[in-house]
Amino acid sequence: MSDHAAAHDPSVRFADTSPSRTPRRGGTRVAHSPGQIALALAIALFLIVFLVAPVATVAYVAFTEKGTGAPTLVNFLDFARTDLFVRSFWNSVYVSAMTVVWASVLALPLAYLTTRFEFRGAALVQTLGFLPLIMPPFVGAVAMQLLFGRNGTVNLLLDEWFDFKIGVMEGLNGVIFLQAIHYFPFILINLSAALRNIDRAMEEAAQNLGSHGFRLFRRIALPLAMPGYVAGASLVFVKVFDDVASPLLLNVKEMLAPQAYLRITSIGIDDPMGYVISVVLIAIAVVTMWGSARVLKGKDYATVQRGGGGLARRRLTRGQSALAYAVVLLVLALVLAPHVGLLLLSFATVWSFSPLPDGYTLAHYARVLGDSSTYIKNTLLYAGLAAAIDVAIGGAIAYLVLRTRLPGRQMLDWLAGAALAVPGVVLGIGYLRAFYGVTLPGGVPMATLWIMIVLAIAIRRLPYALRAAYAALQQISVSLEEAAENLGATKSRTVRRVVIPLMTGGLLAGFVTSFATAAVELSAVLMLVQNNSDAPLSYGLYVLMQTPAGRGAGAALGVIAVVIVAICMGLSQLAIDRSQRNRGLDI
Amino acid sequence: MSGTMSKAVSIDIRGVNLSYGATRILKGIDLSIRPGEFFAFLGPSGCGKTTLLRLIAGFAQAQTGQVLLDGQDVAGLPPWKRDVGMVFQSYALWPHMTVAKNVAFGLEERRLLRREINAKVAEALELVGLAAYADRRPAQLSGGQQQRVAVARTIAIEPKVLLLDEPLSNLDAKMRVSVRRELRALQQRLGLTTIFVTHDQEEANTICDRIAVMEAGTIRQVGTPMELYERPDNLFVAGFLGSANILDGKAVNGVFEVAGGARLPLPGGVQVPAGARLVFRPQHAALSITGALRGPVVHREFLGATVRYGVRVADSEILVDAPFQSGSDLHAVGDTVGIALPSERALYLAA
Amino acid sequence: MLRAIVVALGLVFAATASAQGGKVTVVTSFSKDVTDPIRKAFEKAVPGTTLEVQNRNTNAGVKFLEETKGNNQVDLFWASAPDAFEVLKGKKLLDAYKPKATGIAEKVGSYPVNDKDGFYSGFAASGYGIMWNDRYVKAKKLPTPKEWQDLAQAPYYDHVSISAPSRSGTTHLTIETILQGEGWDKGWRTVKEIAGNLHQVTDRSFGVPEAVNSGQVGYGIVIDFFAFSSQGGGFPVKFVYPSVTTLVPANIGIVANAPNRAGAEAFIEFLLSPAGQETLLEATIRRLPVRPATYDKAPPDYPNPFKDKNLQGLLTFNAELSETRNAAVDVLFDQLITFQLEPLKAATRTLHEVEAALAKKDNAQARALAKEARDLIAAMPITDAQAASPEIRAAFSGGKEKTARQAELEQQWAAFAKDKYTAAKAKADEALKLVR
Repeated sequence: MSDHAAAHDPSVRFADTSPSRTPRRGGTRVAHSPGQIALALAIALFLIVFLVAPVATVAYVAFTEKGTGAPTLVNFLDFARTDLFVRSFWNSVYVSAMTVVWASVLALPLAYLTTRFEFRGAALVQTLGFLPLIMPPFVGAVAMQLLFGRNGTVNLLLDEWFDFKIGVMEGLNGVIFLQAIHYFPFILINLSAALRNIDRAMEEAAQNLGSHGFRLFRRIALPLAMPGYVAGASLVFVKVFDDVASPLLLNVKEMLAPQAYLRITSIGIDDPMGYVISVVLIAIAVVTMWGSARVLKGKDYATVQRGGGGLARRRLTRGQSALAYAVVLLVLALVLAPHVGLLLLSFATVWSFSPLPDGYTLAHYARVLGDSSTYIKNTLLYAGLAAAIDVAIGGAIAYLVLRTRLPGRQMLDWLAGAALAVPGVVLGIGYLRAFYGVTLPGGVPMATLWIMIVLAIAIRRLPYALRAAYAALQQISVSLEEAAENLGATKSRTVRRVVIPLMTGGLLAGFVTSFATAAVELSAVLMLVQNNSDAPLSYGLYVLMQTPAGRGAGAALGVIAVVIVAICMGLSQLAIDRSQRNRGLDI
Repeated sequence: MSGTMSKAVSIDIRGVNLSYGATRILKGIDLSIRPGEFFAFLGPSGCGKTTLLRLIAGFAQAQTGQVLLDGQDVAGLPPWKRDVGMVFQSYALWPHMTVAKNVAFGLEERRLLRREINAKVAEALELVGLAAYADRRPAQLSGGQQQRVAVARTIAIEPKVLLLDEPLSNLDAKMRVSVRRELRALQQRLGLTTIFVTHDQEEANTICDRIAVMEAGTIRQVGTPMELYERPDNLFVAGFLGSANILDGKAVNGVFEVAGGARLPLPGGVQVPAGARLVFRPQHAALSITGALRGPVVHREFLGATVRYGVRVADSEILVDAPFQSGSDLHAVGDTVGIALPSERALYLAA
Repeated sequence: MLRAIVVALGLVFAATASAQGGKVTVVTSFSKDVTDPIRKAFEKAVPGTTLEVQNRNTNAGVKFLEETKGNNQVDLFWASAPDAFEVLKGKKLLDAYKPKATGIAEKVGSYPVNDKDGFYSGFAASGYGIMWNDRYVKAKKLPTPKEWQDLAQAPYYDHVSISAPSRSGTTHLTIETILQGEGWDKGWRTVKEIAGNLHQVTDRSFGVPEAVNSGQVGYGIVIDFFAFSSQGGGFPVKFVYPSVTTLVPANIGIVANAPNRAGAEAFIEFLLSPAGQETLLEATIRRLPVRPATYDKAPPDYPNPFKDKNLQGLLTFNAELSETRNAAVDVLFDQLITFQLEPLKAATRTLHEVEAALAKKDNAQARALAKEARDLIAAMPITDAQAASPEIRAAFSGGKEKTARQAELEQQWAAFAKDKYTAAKAKADEALKLVR
């Protein structure tokens, strides 16, 4: 991810979308054209049909009394009275907060060094820093166990050499460790974008007044980049709070999202608590988003402040340079460890209770090569379509919120944002409930169509594209649109000929984020896959990882998934770069 | 602050060469700025004036040469140890801090006692007339007020020298005039060696003691505004400061033959360098019936106190200013006129 | 309105849905390693038919059939755990079918191969036992287990793994087997004593062999084929059937309103045919065939439930009893063990220390305290009669009658366990002071 491109950028931030924040005070348009109204209604309809309705079919159980089905809140009282849930709630809060702390520790040096200094390989660091987001489910955790687990590579060696072990993968700490590595890119991306936009003179003025080193960072760069940081941090908080996979893979069940998942997917149990917890999860996500928007209100300094200093970077001395590279390499080694482990695993014959595999083989790749072409095709198709839907809807919502005064436009924003918090399994079950009974001519249930998988993924990843679209649109002055209208273009033509071309970079960046994360989505997919020929990679991986002989093959498939997603990201990034260059934005 | 100011220091720049990659930004700069002087770097954009300023502040590194503050080479000092106050073109006020916090920043970095900091902040804000705005955020101030905060923030640390990077460029025309007077008054009061970077000759002329005119990484001339105006060393300086007519020609036997045919006698003792051109200011010439240079009036501009005529002579257009008196007749476009130029007002300058 | 839009949208993609034709759709918890060879053999044996495999774990599969029953598209349900079939049968999600194949044993171990009401048929047997990582055990100089009770011994502390019975049909059967074999109270005592040595409770059946294979834990309580196929994959693992185990058939049943009933029947017949039974012997599958004649073709050392002595006279698994208290057992395990693992382990650990100290220097008072502590740990909040009572069953089944809510029961049981474990720890600490 080259830097200027990212500057325009995949910021997945919770924008403060109040009208006062539009680029020019009072510049918000007043007229609602029929086209805008139609667009808003279409999006509202889409969100209601594919998000609200399916979730409601599941979540209403939370508000009904057992047996009678009468509306009640007693289930929430039960939630508060059950030690396990209360304990799980606080565990989740603790893990999410600590993950934010550790993810920040990982992201800060990377973001600061690559944006504010002349740092060779900055683009590479940024790209590698994105990779942890593309961690295929299951295999990632297995690889991490083999490296950092209680009898993983690190601990076996430590035990042999120094006679002690570190419990980084045990209990809540393990979850924090895994999640910090997995989600730190969200902070990296947002913080980098914010840091990049800080005028160099802001730092120079401080140096000129006697400030340097860490104080300079703490007093100037960090506060100025705070909006980007808060956006990234709140996203990490919400994602960790709602994540099921990582805790469960480490056998940590006393957290809220795993509790919801376990209850919803256990048989013979017909109990509302799983759905009660889901409602709590959604509420917490919405509150977090709202809170971060409040914090950011009126504070988006980085994009407002521009001046003579330009965006040139500082130089590092030789000593500083060595230290900087050491820090960056250390962080990269840590965050890419799962990928390294995955690669090893994919070539390993047997890897059991030993620092490294017993031997190496290509057999796993040979085994998955035949099967994987369908998986790969499906993954690219699903993730691509889902990301395209996200970009279209995200862009449209951003436009409606930032450029119109349509009543209820904020609702679209909150709705789309709330998708972030809907547990994948809830959405999956909701889709089955809402759409399985709908039969198409020919007797095929709606829910069995592969397009439903695409829609479910699209809904889950919509918030990412939405934030990128906000960031892109906020950087476009309203006056550019006014100029077009002044020259006789209608609203829709203005959008087509001015707004969309100018947003291309940002929208593409949103596409990349949605695409890359959609490609490894599992939880909703698992409920919706109806047959192997419609299955994406993540499902194939899940199936393989249920057998002893499938471990290596699963890892091989995981490597293939990462490589493919990385290649697609690289290509999109090239496209972004080109579009930026054509617009002369990189100088 | 005014009372506590330490003695003003000199700035010497010796043999400075600076390039970014293959691009040479500064070429062999030598310059001495006297203690307490209000000095300007004047030149078109891209001439290296800001880079030279940033070199003094420590934000740029020269490949060769020295920068001496008060006789001390500061090459090895990072920006934060130089005690060189700089006001940035964008002001670079930190939006996350109040005005008072902005001003206090440098003092806090110097680990002064809170009591002292408060006193100095109050004093600095008082000096720029913004004491009432201490708790505002920069975004709540006008451009002129922001500029004054930037100055207050810089002088609060009592720097050895004050560097101003195009401090007036973000202000509207009316504001510029008042702010530049304030800056001059402030500098006089503090007696602080000050460098002012600008591309606007009027700004430089009005407030600076001396000016270094720069072009393409070199200093073309150093002098007081009057010297530069009256006795430019070269065509660039002549053309950059004020309006000037510049005519091709060559000196032959005590006469300067202007391209197109006119001949001007050269006064005795005048040396005409090789490749020199004739240079004179519009107000130094006069329209007359006679005159070596003749041609039609092609345009006329009313400037208030004067009327500026454009006269086509051969291929060039010569500007001539005539005093305006009410009731007097003006030449009309199309009239053929002569131009009288006192020979002592004619300069013969090479590039 | 909503439906109309959805239909309209769906129409666009309807063309992509494949034709029904000779497709047999099966929802299974069996992995690709198992299903692929069988699918290939089936498609070869019955030309023109394709087997469409949907891989879901047992619980998700049951959930899926429940959620989609209004418009069922699945022909067969194919999984290990008989009680999952009992659940499906109870919810009327299965159709009866009597296989025509001959030469199939009536019983395997002492368990009837087929459902007495004909709703599902066994096609292979599996037993439960203990799997361990040989490298791990050797490196840490740990013993090799033979019986469930062995896992409760001090050396095994923090080395054992199990999957939650609420998450794994096979573990549920293991626990139920112990409960049926030893009785409710003694059985839970054994289970809790083993649980005190657990390192983790996984939420997937496969999580256990995975952890043992990687060497993250030493021992796992698993169904036999996980161990056999791990061995087949080259992992340094071993397996033993304890004497209290049961051989339980893995089953297949036709889903009610199956779209391709004929195809479903054909697949069942194939599975029970000599060719179908032989596929079970493959290295990646390693299930025990229910056709005794097939064992003639098995590799040496292949367990034979129809001949091997240690697999004779096993416990008769009572599937009906299991079904009546299915949810209660799962929830009890979760509330008393899974979510109280820390206090349980703390008490157990101290008891191990007391035990070790007593071995060196006996102390009657300490011994009595330790016994009290053990009894506290073993205490159950409900009896077996209560567990199978309609009141408690209704609390979990979402029945119409107004009973205690599941969350209320869970909180009661969890609080009960926590109190007892804390008290047990206090007693154990007291005992430890006496012997130190």
